[in-house]
Amino acid sequence: MEKIDYRDEGRFCSGHVACAGCAEAISMRVILNAVGEDTVGVIVPSCTAVILGGYPMSSTKTSFIHGTLESAGAFASGVKRALRAQGRDDTTVLCLAGDGGTYDIGLQSLSSAAERNEDILYICFDNEGYMNTGGQKSSSTPHKAATGSTPLGKPTRKKNMIEILAAHRIPYIATTSPSHLSDMAAKVKKAKSIRGTKVIFVLIPCLPGWGVAENAAVKTARLGVEAGVFPLIEVEGGVKYSLTVDQKTRRIDDYLGEQKRYNHLSDEDRRELQEEVDDTWARLLARAEAGE
Amino acid sequence: MNEQISPLWTHLTTEGRMTGTWRSALPNYQNQPSPCLGACPVNGRIAEWIKQVKDGDLQGAWVTLVDNNPFPAIAGRICHHPCETACNRQDLDETVGICSLERFVGDAALAEGWQFPSASIERDQSVAVIGGGPAGLSAAYQLRRHGFAVSLYETRDELGGLMRFGIPSYRLEPAVLDGEVDRIVALGIDLHLGAEVTDNAALTALRGSHDAVFLATGASLPKRLPALDYSRPWVIDSAEFLAAPADEQSDQAGAHILVIGGGSAAMDVARSARRHGREVTVLTLEPEGQLPAQQVEVEEAIEEGVKFVCGAMLQSAETDGTGVKLQCVHVDFETGKNPGEFSVTPLEGSGFELLVDTIIPAVGQDADIDRWSGMFDQQGSVIGTGTDWQTSAPGLFAGGDVASMSRFVTQAVGMGKEAAQAIAASLAPDIALPGADDPAQVPYERINTTYQDKHNRTRQRSRDVKERLAGFDQVQQPLSADKAHSEASRCFSCGTCIYCDNCYYYCPDMAITRLDGGYSVNADYCKGCGLCVAECPTGSIHMQEEKAP
Ligand SMILES: Cc1cc2nc3c(=O)[nH]c(=O)nc-3n(C[C@H](O)[C@H](O)[C@H](O)COP(=O)(O)OP(=O)(O)OC[C@H]3O[C@@H](n4cnc5c(N)ncnc54)[C@H](O)[C@@H]3O)c2cc1C
Ligand SMILES: Cc1ncc(C[n+]2csc(CCOP(=O)(O)OP(=O)(O)O)c2C)c(N)n1
Ligand code: SF4
Ligand code: SF4
Ligand code: SF4
Ligand SMILES: [Mg+2]
Repeated sequence: MEKIDYRDEGRFCSGHVACAGCAEAISMRVILNAVGEDTVGVIVPSCTAVILGGYPMSSTKTSFIHGTLESAGAFASGVKRALRAQGRDDTTVLCLAGDGGTYDIGLQSLSSAAERNEDILYICFDNEGYMNTGGQKSSSTPHKAATGSTPLGKPTRKKNMIEILAAHRIPYIATTSPSHLSDMAAKVKKAKSIRGTKVIFVLIPCLPGWGVAENAAVKTARLGVEAGVFPLIEVEGGVKYSLTVDQKTRRIDDYLGEQKRYNHLSDEDRRELQEEVDDTWARLLARAEAGE
Repeated sequence: MNEQISPLWTHLTTEGRMTGTWRSALPNYQNQPSPCLGACPVNGRIAEWIKQVKDGDLQGAWVTLVDNNPFPAIAGRICHHPCETACNRQDLDETVGICSLERFVGDAALAEGWQFPSASIERDQSVAVIGGGPAGLSAAYQLRRHGFAVSLYETRDELGGLMRFGIPSYRLEPAVLDGEVDRIVALGIDLHLGAEVTDNAALTALRGSHDAVFLATGASLPKRLPALDYSRPWVIDSAEFLAAPADEQSDQAGAHILVIGGGSAAMDVARSARRHGREVTVLTLEPEGQLPAQQVEVEEAIEEGVKFVCGAMLQSAETDGTGVKLQCVHVDFETGKNPGEFSVTPLEGSGFELLVDTIIPAVGQDADIDRWSGMFDQQGSVIGTGTDWQTSAPGLFAGGDVASMSRFVTQAVGMGKEAAQAIAASLAPDIALPGADDPAQVPYERINTTYQDKHNRTRQRSRDVKERLAGFDQVQQPLSADKAHSEASRCFSCGTCIYCDNCYYYCPDMAITRLDGGYSVNADYCKGCGLCVAECPTGSIHMQEEKAP
């Protein structure tokens, strides 16, 4: 077996208040350490902000500014420009946000920053809903998943943020998962080395929000990757797609079965979701094969 | 001028918050026995030595192996490998080829000439071992390692017992046997070859001149079939046949041989006779698929042209001028509760005849315990002992085929080891009996197979059938170094930490600290989520409930 390939340099601290077993904490640990010391962070309301903060304490040794939910992209742009004015052009600006802050409330500011190709590394912890506020739907919530505000299942499909961002032709977009920590560290390091706007989506199975067991977040994320529900990919320049894990090895049922938010599904529902995954996967493959 | 830091800034890390108070269970690192260890008759630490093979440390693997069994090259050839039957990997694809790996390590040791270290202390006490088969040699080895003087008495002129005079060289080459036996003798054993211990008086004398005696004389008396007249020239005893040199075997046997019995000994007779160019039929009481011999032995016998008549019984045998005519009948066979017990019912109207030249019955051996009549209690047809292998006569221990119906080489080795440990502990206060293994073995469900190698089993190759029948060369070909390494990498290392760091990296709370040669859990922060346990590939950690104080 291959060992997980990154070094923990102590940039993320014990004592934070993430739920027991939270994969977002595992991922923050990897990201904060992989980005390294020369970093200024921007963080907006979300689970990640709760985990990182709680005035007067911080769970990271990296400096962070807490911004507003709708303005992560703008905050990060400003910080980068201020650093540049100080001659600290090489300092990484790391922006942490949830899916609500990325797909919905902060979409305009992220889009503007991307359009200007601001030199920021933006991480979206995608737990597919407004989770720290009690589990409401976001536009990232997948088709048929139950949330507090869609108790019978969300009637529409998950917004495709990858394609939206790709349309901005930014240099780097990637997805990664807490089941693939070496991949996560490698993608963060790669993104850090690129100038311009970089966005990485991390799949975060939310324990209370999805109805996943305390010890099963990593397993659930892994099943998501293996079922092709959350493909691990990279998009370079907005056009060149490549698959990091190039095989879909399971049916979606294995993934759905780990989560209470899908308990209400009928066999017909499952079939429909499987077809959607197959269709998305086929398109992705075609894109990757067409790659430049 | 700089002002004081704004009170809006954070000035503490969360490390002051003890999230350990959230928890109701704490992970516990505990190397637990693997199922293969539980099934191994010598309690070999299989997960540990296979890991050493994986890491390329063959000598380390050998040292681990010989802690419990001085015969890895032998066991790697002829052990009935119950470990493989218990192996967790079969729930994923196929069992790990433990036995072939054991042979690989054992062969490396012979090739490299690795020797046992001499005993670190020499003790005044001495133990007599009677019988130089696997049980006696295993006990002698363990006693010498503890520094006791050992005198070994053996009827024959050579050591090895049935490993030399039963098992043919196409399964166990004499050079391998010699190599592993000589290494034990080199520890300094007072050897008495050609020295039969004949009766109670001789045994009592040995008991008087030593601090303890271990009796391991095997089971040398052939069981007799009532339907067969053993005085006839066309009936040959299987033990004598197998013990004879090849040219004598050839002289004894007629053109068509009937072997009676379905165990290892019967297969060995049949296959040896095939190597002398004879036509061979095997008659067994057990139906097809239930023969007591190992599956591979039966398969190889069939490949070598041995014919089988299963589920049938001999009723009578007579010469009729051209050969020996046998009256047989098909039977209903039922196994009993204990090893070796069974019952048969002849099926009416199913009689048939066979015509052969020679009959070699191989239906099992009894221990010669009448010889010691009155010395100690019996248990069925073997010597009775306690769990420490001590007989009813204090200081007199017994093991192997003479004291058990579990008739396998490694069973005998295990009994020899356990008896030696009991003897050692009884003679020297500084030697403690090893504690019993944790009975809870790591089940398959505790293995996270995501992190395990996915490739299928690599098997040893068998020599081509034509080549096999031309002589007595070893049938099973060893694994190459590459193949051995790849097979070793299939082992899950059940219950044995491989220091992969998964637990360390998957802890969301940084509650796991790497130590030199292990890990510890920081109870101040651990929230008890169990992710470390779930992502452990080897099942080496488990959650332990904590009770409120
Ligand atoms: C043909 C055959 C094939 C077998 N194949 C296999 C196999 O493939 N795998 C497997 O695991 N098992 C096999 N077995 C079983 C296995 O060989 C025995 O279970 C094992 O050898 C028993 O070991 P032991 O030390 O108790 O007895 P033995 O191996 O019988 O050794 C006893 C020794 O004591 C000596 N001795 C006896 N009486 C005296 C005395 N009074 N004084 C001094 N010395 C004495 C004998 O000469 C002998 O050397 C086979 C058995 C047979 C017969
Ligand atoms: C403009 C605005 N609307 C609503 C809120 C309240 N609010 C804080 S966090 C949050 C949910 C954010 O969801 P997401 O970004 O997905 O993060 P998660 O909590 O799921 O990690 C909401 C609605 C806010 N802070 N600002
Ligand atoms: S996988 Fe390895 S440790 Fe586990 S039972 Fe099989 S051989 Fe033993
Ligand atoms: S992963 Fe960490 S917090 Fe969870 S049980 Fe293990 S040590 Fe405790
Ligand atoms: S996860 Fe790896 S390092 Fe941790 S206990 Fe299991 S085998 Fe050992
Ligand atoms: Mg969210």
